[in-house]
Parts: sequence; C-alpha cells; structure tokens
Amino acid sequence: MSDVRAVRAFLRSRGRAPVTWSDRYVTVFGLVVAALVLAHPVTSAFTSLTAAAGQTDPSQAGAGLALIALAYAGFMRLARTVGPVVLPAADAAWLVLSPLPRRPVLARTALVLVAVSVVAGAALGVALLAVLGGGGHVAVRLALALALGMSATLGGMATAVLAQAHPAWGSRFDAGLLLALVLLLVTVLVVAFVMHAPAGLAAACATACATASAVLVRQAWAALGRIPARSLLAASTRAGRVAAAATLIDPGVLSWIAEDDHWRGRVLRSRVWPRLLRARWAAPALAWSDWRRLGRRPARLCALLASTALPSLASATLASPATNGLVAALLAIGAMTAAAACTTGARRDHDDPALSRLSGVGARAALTARAVLPMLLSAAWLTLALAGLGVIGALPPGPWWSLGILCAPALAAGALRMARRRPIDHTMPVIHTPAGSIPTGPLIWAATGADVAALGCLPVLAAVPTSVSAGTPALGPLLVAQAVSGVAVLVVFLLRAAGPRGG
Amino acid sequence: MIVMARDVGVVAGEVPILTGIDLAAGPGEVVAVVGVNGAGKSTLLRCLAGLQPPASGEVGVFGRPPADTAAFWRDVAVVADEPAWYPGLTVREHLELMRAVHHDTRLTVEAALEEFDLVERADLAPQTLSTGQRQRLVLAMALLRPSRLLLLDEPERGLDTAFRDRLATMLTRYAAAGGTVVMATHDLGLARAAGARRVSLEAAA
Repeated sequence: MSDVRAVRAFLRSRGRAPVTWSDRYVTVFGLVVAALVLAHPVTSAFTSLTAAAGQTDPSQAGAGLALIALAYAGFMRLARTVGPVVLPAADAAWLVLSPLPRRPVLARTALVLVAVSVVAGAALGVALLAVLGGGGHVAVRLALALALGMSATLGGMATAVLAQAHPAWGSRFDAGLLLALVLLLVTVLVVAFVMHAPAGLAAACATACATASAVLVRQAWAALGRIPARSLLAASTRAGRVAAAATLIDPGVLSWIAEDDHWRGRVLRSRVWPRLLRARWAAPALAWSDWRRLGRRPARLCALLASTALPSLASATLASPATNGLVAALLAIGAMTAAAACTTGARRDHDDPALSRLSGVGARAALTARAVLPMLLSAAWLTLALAGLGVIGALPPGPWWSLGILCAPALAAGALRMARRRPIDHTMPVIHTPAGSIPTGPLIWAATGADVAALGCLPVLAAVPTSVSAGTPALGPLLVAQAVSGVAVLVVFLLRAAGPRGG
Repeated sequence: MIVMARDVGVVAGEVPILTGIDLAAGPGEVVAVVGVNGAGKSTLLRCLAGLQPPASGEVGVFGRPPADTAAFWRDVAVVADEPAWYPGLTVREHLELMRAVHHDTRLTVEAALEEFDLVERADLAPQTLSTGQRQRLVLAMALLRPSRLLLLDEPERGLDTAFRDRLATMLTRYAAAGGTVVMATHDLGLARAAGARRVSLEAAA
C-alpha cells in the first residue's frame, strides 16, 4: 500500500500545483451552495414520497415494482458496460502494468463504486418505500427500505466486479442478472409483507439481505487484486474514449464506441445474402446488413419489446395530472428509439462513405432501402405501446393502435436524419435569454432528427395526450391526417437528404 | 485515356499542395505515383476520385470530370484510409455484400478469402483483425467487385513483404484484364513488381 501511496504522492507533486487555502475555500463554498440549493427540493420530494407511502394503492404496486426492477436492471447493465472497475487512462497505462500490488492501485476506484452504489441504493430504497407503502412507523419502514436498496446495489456492484475479475463469469453475467432481478422481486414482495409484520421479523429480513450483500462485497474486495490487466485496460480505454467524447460534446461518437466495442472480438456465423436480393436490387442488398445486425442482437429486440409496456406501466402507476405528458413523452422517446436502433448503416455511410462508394449504390436508393427497417420497427413498437394503453383503458375505445403504423414513416425519416447529423457545431452563437444562456450548437444538434419526426407525427402527438384525459378527438380524420403527414415527411426527407450522389 | 490530369493545382488555404501536375493512364496500365511525404500523392488521388476539386487545371476520368455519383463509383474503386466497417457483419459478409450489390464480380467470395489469406478470419468482425489483415480485406473488397479503374492510396500499408508480392501480381492481372490502376505508394519494390510506370511528385514550394 505504501508503494502505491508513494507513487500517487509523486504523481500529485509533479502533476499539478499544490492545493492552496483558496482552492479549499472554493471547494467548501461550492459544496455549501450545492447543499443549500438541493436541500429544499430533496427534502420536499422525500417528504412527499414518504407521505405517499402511507396511502399506496395496492393496484399500482405491481407496475411500480416493475419500473423499479427495470431501473435496477439498467443500473446493473451500466455497471457491467462501464467495467465497473476503471482507471484514468494514465493510471491504466502506467500503474496497472507495473509491479505495484493491484488492489491498492484500484482502491480509490473501489471507494467510488461503493459511494455510487450507496447513493443509487438510497434512491432505490426511497422508491421502494413510495411504491410498497405499509403501516405506521415511517422511520422503521424507511430504514428497512434503505437497507434493502443499498444491499441490492452494493451486492449487484460487487457481483459486477466479480464478473470482471473472472472473465469466464462475464458471459454468464446477463443470465445472473436476470436471476438477481427475480430474486430482488421475490425479496421485495417478502419485504412488502414484512413491512406490515412485527418489527423483529422485519429487522431479521433486512439483516439477511445486508449480510448477503456484505459477503459479496467482501468477495469483490478480495477479487480486486486478481482483475486481469487486459480487462482493466480495455475498460479504462473505453471509459477514456467516452470521457473524450463527452468532453468534446460529440455524443455521436458514443454510438460508434458502443457498436465497435460490442462487435470487437466476437465470432459470428457468416451467412450469404438472400438469393432474391443478390445482384438484382443493389440498394435492398446493401440495406440487408441492417436487418442482419438487428437479428444478431436479440437481447436488444427483447428490451425494445419489453419497453412497449412502459407507457402502460406509467399510466397505471402514476395517477397524476402530469401522467399524460409523461405517457406522451415515453411514446415519443420509445418509438424514436426503436426507429434509431437500426440506422447504424446509414450513420456509417454518412460519416465515412468509403464502403458506400465501393458498393456503388446511389445515396437516395440506399437511404430509401435503409428506411424500411426503422419504419417497421417503430411501427411495431408504437402499435404495441398504443395497444397496451388501450387494453388498460387509458385510451378511448377504437383502433388507436393503428396510429403506430401511420406514424412509422415520419419516425423513420427522423431516425435517419438523426443518424446522418453532423457533430455539434460549437462555433454557433450563444443566445442570452432572461432564463440563462442557450448554446445553439448543441440545441440544433439535439433537435436534428426529432424535428422531422415531430413534424410528421404532429397529428398523433397532439391527439394522444388529450385523448388520455378527455377522449375527445375523432379517430377517422386523425388517421387520415397522420397517414398523409407521415408519408409526406418521409418522401420530402428522402428527396432532399440524398446528397450529391444521385440514385 | 481512362485518366487524364492536366496542369492540376491544389491549394489548402494559402499553401500550395499540388502545382502543375500532369498525369495520364490508359486501359491496362498501372501507374505508381511516388514522392516524399507531403508531395501531394493522396491529394492527387482525391482529385482523380472527384473528392477534391482542383484549384486549377483539368481532371478527366473516362473522358468526363469525375463526379460523386453512383454511376461513377460503379466503374471506379477507391482504397484509401481504413473505411468504417459495418458493425455486426463478418469479414466474409463484407465480401458477400460486395457480391450482392454488384453484377459479375471478378472473384467469388471463397476465392477472395483464399487469395487474401482471410479464410481463418472469415467469421470475425473486421475490427478484430490486425492492421494488415484489415488492409487485405479492403483490398479484397475492391478487387472482388467489377471496376475499370482502381485508385489505391498506399495499398502496401500494414502488409507483410510476401503479401506485397502477391498484391503486385493481382494488380498486374487486373491491368492485363483491361483495368487501369493508379496508386500512390512509397514501396518502389511494389511498383516495380506490378510493372508500374512511375510518376514522381515533388513537394510544392
């Protein structure tokens, strides 16, 4: 340990100027200001959550639990994607490949992971309390929920560290994650029962969870010293590239990093192109690569399928005036995500047209062929999501699901436009408004793609929120308006976006 | 003439990159553009591909100014920097893609894998390959598809000596079948083995 401390002290002494009293003052002042700013919203949110816990509607608990389970799965997936044990690029290059003992080198990262897990666990616990509710003794129930939440996140993070330390486990991590989710749900249900049970039983249950988590954390701490250098270097390099992309505010690069990381090193079963496409229709043959890529990520397809339930879950769980807006936002984001999930080919061809030139396919023909898959996928997603809302009674009677099909052309146009947008132009002016400064570069970048999709889906975007609350719009004219709007936007987009290379 | 460049000049800002360059290549000819770093070899190739408009002079390919159109790219194959590989496709599928979008390919996928020593790597993603193997893959894609003009920017990049000799043979075969090759290269051995006519560029003052 002392060796590592000596190295870090040496690096600190050479790397930057010593910390002055002024630096310390600025740090403390910043923390105090942050505490003052956040104190009120955090306490009011906490108060409302704990107050709501006493009046939980049992019918909403299932949907709430599903949302919490999804959030937990997302947390675990993120931890695994990040590493979770990563180091700054310089440390990874110099300290990992050195005779220094590995655990002390990684100790600082481990502390950060513990802190992140504790914060995430606290949020999970409060959300659990809000969803499950229970009898009296708010303080006891809160302690129980916090213990369970922190046990889940700390134990999950420890499992992710163990998976990184044992590469053979890594491939089984996803299956383990599924099992952990099931166990979490079972445990939550037990705790839901326990929350209404005597205090002794509740304490015993919380202790069991915390003990299991502590054992996992102990194992992970022991495994820190055995994490292979290649795993650390790969995770640290990836984190460094992501940090660089974030620093340059070029989120488009993140898609490239994620895609390349996913496919690098994989052995796939090569297949010939469908005979029907070969040498007859060059553009569909080129676009077939998107279909094949999508077929090779069944987990992503399953996640998309599962996410069609989110609007229904939100609508069923949250009975507040803000729900309609949230449901509309979920519909828009989900449908757009589904469309954008299969535009990789268009993005690659636009960012680097070398392969598209080798293929000799015209830009308009290629883009038209590449629009089919996003159209189908977004149509399926939105149709299922709207059908779900119809089933739970959140929409008025009628075939509202058909709007999903009619929105698809506009969503595909938006997703393709998004895939082909340029990096953020940081030279664009900053507009100063009474509410603060607005950098137009990132704003325009963020709006590119969403603008076309919103334009094409204007009829349905206007109709769904109002129909959820009032059920007023006539469906027939809406379907006609949406059909015309969606197709028109796609056609205009394809005509205008084909670029200098003609079909 | 397949390629004709007359008195071509390119300027970047106020810095001249190319000045008064002439180049001609006919059917069945291999031309090697050689010169020191910064002489403008890659820039000249970009001019021939229509990717860099010259500030002065004339460039003609197949008797017309080069144009970034599908028809042009059906006749011209360019290999320059490493391309952005399609994620989720294997080495074999990248070759299959070329076969799927072009009529009458010059090689079958199996033959291309054999010729470019990629059989053992056929089911891997290109990102997994070494630099030299990735260069072989992009050359295989360019030589598998039909074309009348090959524009190669340092095709020897990352290739081992033995494979450079094989590449020279492939380029000779391509030219013997009536194709035209214009390549920028630092490897005089490759140019010699391919029977290339050398065109030397001097760094513009």
